[in-house]
Amino acid sequence: MADEQKNTTQFSFRKYAWAQFKKNKPAYYSIYILGFFAILAIFAPIIANDKPLYIKYKGETFWPAFSFDNKYVIKDPATGKEEILQLDITEWKRLDYESVVWAPIPWSPGKADIPNSDYVKPGGDQKFIDSKGDTIYMPGRFKHLLGTNASGEDVFAGLIHGSRISLSIGFISMGIASIIGLVLGSLAGYFGDHRLRTRRARLWLTIAGIPIAWFYAFSLRSFTLKDAIADSGFMFLVQLILSIILFFAVVWLFSMIGKILSRGSFLGKEVNVPVDSYISRGIEILNSIPTLILILALAAIAKEPSIVYVMVIIGLTSWTGIARFTRAELLKIRNMDYIQAAKAMGFSEKRIIFGHALKNGLAPSLVSIAFGVASAILIESSLSFLGIGVPPDTVTWGKLLFQGKEHFQAWWLVIFPGTAIFITVTVYNLIGEGLRDALDPKLKQ
Amino acid sequence: MLKYIFRRVLIFIPTLFLISLIAFVISLNAPGDPIENLVTAAQGGESGSALSDNLLRAKDSLRHQLGLDLPVFYFTITSAASPDSMYKITDKNQRESLERLVDNYGNWDQISVFFEQLKKLNIAARSLLPDSNVYKPMKKETAEGLADVVENESFALMLSHDEVVIISKFNTIRSLLNENKFLGSVKDAFNKAYTAFENMRNNASRWKNWIPQINFFGYNQYHRWMFGDGNWLTGKGSIYTAGVIRGDFGLSYATRQAVTKTIKRAVPWSMTMTLLSVMLAYLISIPVGIHAAANRGKLFDRASSVVLFMLYSLPPFFIGTLLLITFANPDMLDWFEANGVKPATGYPEGASLWEKINISGPYLVLPLVSYTYSSLAFLSRTMRVAMLEVINQDYIRTARAKGLTPFLVVYKHGLRNALLPIITVFSNIFPAAIGGSIILEYIFGIPGMGQEIIQAIHTKDYPMIIAVFTLSGFMTLIGYLFADIMYAIVDPRISYSSK
Repeated sequence: MADEQKNTTQFSFRKYAWAQFKKNKPAYYSIYILGFFAILAIFAPIIANDKPLYIKYKGETFWPAFSFDNKYVIKDPATGKEEILQLDITEWKRLDYESVVWAPIPWSPGKADIPNSDYVKPGGDQKFIDSKGDTIYMPGRFKHLLGTNASGEDVFAGLIHGSRISLSIGFISMGIASIIGLVLGSLAGYFGDHRLRTRRARLWLTIAGIPIAWFYAFSLRSFTLKDAIADSGFMFLVQLILSIILFFAVVWLFSMIGKILSRGSFLGKEVNVPVDSYISRGIEILNSIPTLILILALAAIAKEPSIVYVMVIIGLTSWTGIARFTRAELLKIRNMDYIQAAKAMGFSEKRIIFGHALKNGLAPSLVSIAFGVASAILIESSLSFLGIGVPPDTVTWGKLLFQGKEHFQAWWLVIFPGTAIFITVTVYNLIGEGLRDALDPKLKQ
Repeated sequence: MLKYIFRRVLIFIPTLFLISLIAFVISLNAPGDPIENLVTAAQGGESGSALSDNLLRAKDSLRHQLGLDLPVFYFTITSAASPDSMYKITDKNQRESLERLVDNYGNWDQISVFFEQLKKLNIAARSLLPDSNVYKPMKKETAEGLADVVENESFALMLSHDEVVIISKFNTIRSLLNENKFLGSVKDAFNKAYTAFENMRNNASRWKNWIPQINFFGYNQYHRWMFGDGNWLTGKGSIYTAGVIRGDFGLSYATRQAVTKTIKRAVPWSMTMTLLSVMLAYLISIPVGIHAAANRGKLFDRASSVVLFMLYSLPPFFIGTLLLITFANPDMLDWFEANGVKPATGYPEGASLWEKINISGPYLVLPLVSYTYSSLAFLSRTMRVAMLEVINQDYIRTARAKGLTPFLVVYKHGLRNALLPIITVFSNIFPAAIGGSIILEYIFGIPGMGQEIIQAIHTKDYPMIIAVFTLSGFMTLIGYLFADIMYAIVDPRISYSSK
């Protein structure tokens, strides 16, 4: 008996789950593949770039791929003539360098290679215009390894840069979804229907604070937000976050006023707030909203399409799974001894929920997050396949695939981006499954 | 059980309210003025920005017809600075510039005076007819050109809100007026407008913007959209719309036809595809899942698991496109048709149903494969898991011990309790029949709801989008309810009575 006691205290679920996860080879290796994709995405501008990484040209050295200014003025030492290189339009491959280091894939996404326009297939005859202006066969170093599309854009470069989008989709949309899901889920699970009691005045004032907070955060700032939308997706995100912070600050202020006012037998009476019912009904309602149509309609509203909106919308609509998992977990955790102990020590509810209970109840939501990323990537690539919500100058996997659908002969525009989407989605699904199996206590035996 | 169903149906009401509200808010924020869109569509692509009086009148009547001259919702939260009658300004751009002026200065009284003066200035500038005696040395075209500049600038003033922009526009007009005497008839209006502007700028009360104010409106756009413009309960006396609750989703902006008509035309295709594919998926996946579970860990189980997992992760549009470039491509295998559901010439006259099916067959094979495979993967996997849980239970062992054949044990005793995932998938049919599979219909050119949605989004046909959105939300609810009832029927252990 004493032995058993000792064993259970040394048993760490986290270590156990990790060991279980490692045993699941496909899932374990998926993490490596994911890491590889992340490296590709982070270093995409170095891996695929039509500007050389390093050049020595007429006696001077430059780092065009890393340069922030858009113009080089080069003096020819022999003739004294000035030559101006406009970084974004220079035909880099036609210059005569003393020495040069090219990016592994010497093409940029979305930049047309005109001699090779009109769907050049991988391994097919590719043309190249050399420094003398003659059209020759493509030197091996510059070959479009995975072919080109109608306007001569390199498919490989598009694939490499497209990985950035699918990676950031995962981060941003699931980041938003996790924040909402974890907070609401843990509130619903921890408090349930009967454990959140508050004074009447505080409850009323908090509820009254919501429309007023809405006014200050959103009505008053409506033009700021609108101008931010016109500016860029990123600015909109920043302003939106500011508005949301403002919203909660005002609600909090009202709740504090309510706390002060909660005196006497009427205003100070304790009332029960059925948090769980509210949040669960909310989840039910959100689940019956046709998400894809909602995303399509919202993406169509935006005057300037931006990937950021798509990510935000996906994030705002896909938190319900995370919330449900967290809720179920916290329903169990709230009855555990260490929570009672924390209560007995007089910790605040906030500290108990977010510092103790949620920390231990995080694991199951990871499963939901992994699957969520997979489906977010699918939604994003479907949208860009349909040409909705993606700005014209952004190259995404879905968009490449669409070009292949428009031109049946260009199988390379279908196979490569499709495989990239498939691998990414599979990797996330495998990780999700691995996590689920590792965290499911039913499989413990 | 009945009590449970009743409670479920009660939840329908707030859910549908919320869904309709979201749809409504989306349509409000849609870019462009629906009136402009409609008028433009009616004129066959001609721009509707000309300011002829007839056109304005037509727009106003259309606005009334669509209820766009009403306040938006039952209440609005605005600042104390902005008037509750802002909705009466019908031009979207003018309204926005006014709202922004309120945001800048906060004194509605002066702003409205300023705006009135601007209107007068605009009218004066429009009726400007350069007197040939005055502009003498100048050419007629030049003089008219200058008059046009005044007109355009004064019109642009009505749409400006930035102080710097307004002042620069005033300055342009002023210098033109000073230099050219023949423009004199505008001068009076100009001076008044400028005084009003100074007055507005000097008497700004920005603090009013910080005070919230709630306005209530009984009859509003949402109410009209939801309940029609007659009696809200009986629908009697409605002229233009009977309201969503009576199935009237209004006119499509793109085609000017009733939205419901388009839906009725498109739904059968989506429904057929969905039903056929789900049936196919059932036919294949149930035996596969059961067989895999019954032979757990054997070759079939492992192989099918891998294949199904891969199928599950394959994006449908990838598979669809792959199928197209392989089997509907003259360069590869030209077995099936690439686009549509029937020949471009339509069916021959008097074709029977069977003939129609025969003709459409080659068109439907590839879409059906794409439709089926993803639900197939999901179904088989869930079926396998459900069956695995059942197969280890005591009553199955008992059945085996009784000496029943493995077939009977699995299919008669096991299957019934493993049916739950099947029901879950079936409940997804309801919304799918309305919404269609957007991406697959798009790829294969099936004239169902998915295509309509894409079209509506590209043409910004918001009545259509909203109708589909609301209807598929409703069908999702029906699907959930159906699934819950079926769960209880299939598995008597599930009870919904409250504890």
